[in-house]
Amino acid sequence: MTGSWVMAKTEAAMAEADAGFGTRVKENQRRVFQIAYSVLGDRADAEEVAQEAFLQAYQNSRALRDEEKFRGWVNRIAFRLALNRQRATRRRLTRDTAWQSGTPVTADAAKSAEDRLLLAHLRQAIEKLPRELRAVIQLSVVEEMDATQVGAVLGIPAGTVRSRLHTARKLLLEAMK
Amino acid sequence: MNNACMKWKEQLLEAALAEMAETELQEHLSQCPDCAAELETLRAKRERMDSVLPLIATAEEPSPDLRARIMAATETSKVRPMRLMWGAWALAGVIALVVIAVTVNWVRNRENKEMAATVQTAQQLAEWQSPTADLLKVPGQELLNSSPRLGESYISIPMEERKGEKP
Repeated sequence: MTGSWVMAKTEAAMAEADAGFGTRVKENQRRVFQIAYSVLGDRADAEEVAQEAFLQAYQNSRALRDEEKFRGWVNRIAFRLALNRQRATRRRLTRDTAWQSGTPVTADAAKSAEDRLLLAHLRQAIEKLPRELRAVIQLSVVEEMDATQVGAVLGIPAGTVRSRLHTARKLLLEAMK
Repeated sequence: MNNACMKWKEQLLEAALAEMAETELQEHLSQCPDCAAELETLRAKRERMDSVLPLIATAEEPSPDLRARIMAATETSKVRPMRLMWGAWALAGVIALVVIAVTVNWVRNRENKEMAATVQTAQQLAEWQSPTADLLKVPGQELLNSSPRLGESYISIPMEERKGEKP
């Protein structure tokens, strides 16, 4: 009797936790995807990273309790996973396609061919930025990410984010000449 | 932009990003059509950059089934905590066994040391002799035990000392 009551309570609690997690995924998936996509520039890769980030969040039950903590945590883990995947992809590309020249074609669904060209040019320019500037610009272009949230992901103050963003934009504008 | 205006390059970039030029630059722009044109070009590029830059993150939307895939992945991962739990129990068991073995070994060593100390004490007790026999010994017992022969004394006196004696 007592055992079945405990089981029923446990299952109810787990179902409630799963429903809560489902809501968190719904609220955060677009931003998490964008964080990964801004680094990787590939939808399939970005989705895999987003899935992995949420999976890690699910397994870290302590991070789920507070909405703000969850948001910051999943942002950080998604960015870190995306950078790791980018490094691995670069190594693989260097190894497998060392004989090729030029940059890999991305599947950016930009509005026009002109936009696509400019986007590819900007991606190249961003890749050439120093790492700390690159990270700031990649996160700042994500929707719903203000300087405070970018700073939370990178572990730097919001003022430093603004300063680095200004420098990054200046370098990109110079690169557009 | 001519060579004389190269010193304004940095300020032109700043002005293009900030939408406004400093007073010093404004004065120069009013006299230099080249730099004024350059600033307009930079502002147009900046606007173009700002319109395209967000596409780096937003050019594509996540698949509609992304959430379902994430939830499916978490369902699959529910097996993992059980596995992790078994792993944790196994690790705890191994640690407990090691702790028990170390404790038993330590207790045995301690008992062996205590036993060795007891045996040593018993041995010392068995070898112990009362000091009374030594205390009862008379000084010169050896001399007394041997009786002098005829013409000898108990104490032998060196001859040289005798020579030095006054008659």
